[in-house]
Amino acid sequence: MSDFPSSKYDRGKIFAKTGLSVGKNYAKHYLKNLRGSDEQRNSEFYNQTAQQIFSEFTKLRGTALKIAQSLSIDQGLLPDEFSEVMTQAQYSVPPINRSLIRSIIKRELGSYPEVLFESFDTEAIAAASIGQVHTARLKSGEKVAVKIQYPGVRDTIASDLGLAKSLFKRFIKNKEDLNEYFEEIESTLRLETDYIHEGETINRFHNRFSTDRFETPRWIKEYSTERVLTMSFLEGEHLREFLERDPSQEEKNAFGQKIWDFFHEQIRQSDEIHADTHPGNFLLTEDGKLGIIDFGCVKNFPDEFFIDYLLLLPTHLERDLDKIKTLYDRLGVLKGDPETNQTEKKYFEFCLNYGFTFAMPYENDTFNFGNPEYREMIRGYTKNAPIGNEARGNKHFLYSTRVHLGLYHFLMKLGATVETKKSRDIVEERIGEAIV
Amino acid sequence: MNKFTEEKIRISKSAALLYLKNRRFTLSALAKASDIETEKIYDYFSNRRDVLDFFYEGLILEYKESVQSIDKYAEYTLSEKLSNLALTLIDLMDPYKEFVRETYKDRIACSSRTTPFEELFRQQLKVIYESDTNQSRLSAAFNRGFLYTAGSYNFHLLIQFWLRDKSPANQKTMELVDKWTAFVEELHYSSILDRGFDMAKFIFYNSPFSNT
Repeated sequence: MSDFPSSKYDRGKIFAKTGLSVGKNYAKHYLKNLRGSDEQRNSEFYNQTAQQIFSEFTKLRGTALKIAQSLSIDQGLLPDEFSEVMTQAQYSVPPINRSLIRSIIKRELGSYPEVLFESFDTEAIAAASIGQVHTARLKSGEKVAVKIQYPGVRDTIASDLGLAKSLFKRFIKNKEDLNEYFEEIESTLRLETDYIHEGETINRFHNRFSTDRFETPRWIKEYSTERVLTMSFLEGEHLREFLERDPSQEEKNAFGQKIWDFFHEQIRQSDEIHADTHPGNFLLTEDGKLGIIDFGCVKNFPDEFFIDYLLLLPTHLERDLDKIKTLYDRLGVLKGDPETNQTEKKYFEFCLNYGFTFAMPYENDTFNFGNPEYREMIRGYTKNAPIGNEARGNKHFLYSTRVHLGLYHFLMKLGATVETKKSRDIVEERIGEAIV
Repeated sequence: MNKFTEEKIRISKSAALLYLKNRRFTLSALAKASDIETEKIYDYFSNRRDVLDFFYEGLILEYKESVQSIDKYAEYTLSEKLSNLALTLIDLMDPYKEFVRETYKDRIACSSRTTPFEELFRQQLKVIYESDTNQSRLSAAFNRGFLYTAGSYNFHLLIQFWLRDKSPANQKTMELVDKWTAFVEELHYSSILDRGFDMAKFIFYNSPFSNT
């Protein structure tokens, strides 16, 4: 069991220690490479560095672990060995003291778990960034998941973001623009620590997605507060467990199709979007439905951004360069004319090609995400992104990209072939409705 | 816990609330507040001081009772058991926070005699430390009275912290308990002292600078 480092000093120390370890590893790696390089050595190096980052970040939980999770979603940015280790952050971090859990329940729900529930498992089934999940059985016999927030986690948001911001400001040119991104992250994280808000979201998604294809939990309000969230328990396999049992291609396709359709159904409904598309939040239920859990991070993108974001699809499919340029302008991707400015030209060409690659699944009626060439293309773009020393793009890209990349990486990991025609129609209909 | 003790605890809790309204309440007023006959209250307590002191003693008795209902308590680590002791007592005190604020310092922390509460508290620490088999050899040798006395002083400080804690649902107090007990566990489980002791013993018997 471990304590939760909540003070700015403790957390700063871990950030610094991680930075030093990684720096030391890179220095060693560089010196070794002067004497020649080989694949195996690189692989060992990445794995060792990733293990260190993961082990330190999991101690921090909270905001820092959220950063680790984002890194594992945007896997293209990281070497494979790195991504493998970082993906662990999506499943488990060290659980907290069992007595603390007991006392939190008493304080939040009025009684100890042994009094409130028919049974309560003191071993957490999942420990994530801001809370850990236990299974329990209500007196009625219903199996539930009880999510308990780590004490003091809300206070760490401001200090962690402050630390991250001061680091970024050292190498970002347009410091003022950085503020709006951090404000967006901070407000989203604050909402994630309000479990009443999450409970209400669970109910809204339950009403929207309780169909023969999707399953979402039900909020159990009587057993929930701002820091304890109780919901019905969804049984099923996560992506990792699913792949471990070596499923057939048909099974992979069926699983992939469900998550693809879930994503587009959200677009069709013009409503909130589940914005935490990492594998730990999806499962395949026993009766073959897509189970969706964790509704802490959902986004309601404003139409003026979202329609432009959706318009990127048809314009890239049609390869209409003028319209694409106008869209990039409106979305803050370009800050000048790419025809006269070399830097803008570099950004424009990169985004254009990345956009074409991103639109590829929609070009035909089906698409094979298991194609290793496609995976390499996506990775190639993210690795070679012209990430300069300035912040660019509308702040809503932070989460829209997270959803989109998360979906693609999920499908690539799954190796699924999905039917995409209907989804292309959905995007076009949604754009049509908004423009009319 | 037998019915008699349960009733004593119930009456002492009524007394804690009554005390806040009138520090010099009579036993007959307490009998009325506790919904029992006046003459019966003397079966439980002989005077007001008895009943107020028993409030704290009763907390330890309730704690002992609650431990029996915790699933897999025997598997808890040292820090979890210490956290459970501290947090359960604070949970029990919580509805009577004002009473604790008014009386804990004088009746318990700064009392000129060792109170039954402190005695029972130290006994519980003894049970926790002596039943833990993961401690290093050297730290187990320190499982003595002074360790439990130090533990009870730490608890007094924790109560002062909790009384001043304004964080929602006393989260700061929980964090302090978590950090403190994790630190204590680290000290007791670490084999660094064992290794240091082994090394010191070796040097003592094999010093090249010794005269013999």
